[in-house]
Amino acid sequence: MKKIILMIALSLSVYADVLVGDKAVDFNLNSLDESKSFKQSDFKGQVVLLNLWASWCSGCKKEMPEFFKLQKEYKSGFKIVTVSIDSDPSASQKFLQSVEQEVGFKTPFITLYDSEKLLPKTYGAVAMPSSYLIDKQGIIQAVIVGSLSADEIEELKKEINKLK
Amino acid sequence: MYYIAFIIALLLLSGCTDKLVRVMPYEKEHFADPKMSLSPLEERAEHEGHIFLIRESSAGGDSSFQGGCGCR
Repeated sequence: MKKIILMIALSLSVYADVLVGDKAVDFNLNSLDESKSFKQSDFKGQVVLLNLWASWCSGCKKEMPEFFKLQKEYKSGFKIVTVSIDSDPSASQKFLQSVEQEVGFKTPFITLYDSEKLLPKTYGAVAMPSSYLIDKQGIIQAVIVGSLSADEIEELKKEINKLK
Repeated sequence: MYYIAFIIALLLLSGCTDKLVRVMPYEKEHFADPKMSLSPLEERAEHEGHIFLIRESSAGGDSSFQGGCGCR
């Protein structure tokens, strides 16, 4: 009987997506410039917006400048952690440089690099970009599918302020 | 025996989930490449579509500005 339950659990595991109320998936990823590695647990005690993006994704191009501005507004208590899933890290670097030129300042948040696409697979990302608002305890409070407009960022700010 | 058949059926059916048979959004890097576009010259394709719709007297003139009259 135990074996059957185990097999059923394994079969159903392919459907498992991360939902609101679930614990954020732990990871151990290098930064895009490979200078440092980060774990999800490193951000405990802070509200985190985990954003999965790629340089080839048009929605990511649209929302990234908004994330630059958003992080600039929050000095403490809130961190944006973006994860690039490009196959080529130089494409991600070029992408960020173009956004830096557009907004006029350096990337104000941590950018991690996940060439194996482990995070989107674990999170079960149904769109690119996908973002996850994670509270101080490491619990997912919102799953954002697709890109965020400036108006939606305003709504997001209210959520961040509530969680801070 | 039934249990084994049940488990095998379950495992086989789990292989039909859309997560395993569908190209997931994060796997579309190569599909997003401009080379994969059916018409490599986007502006030209838009222009040709516009002319086609005018020739066929279709209303709206596709997505081009001031559709129908042929002016842009």
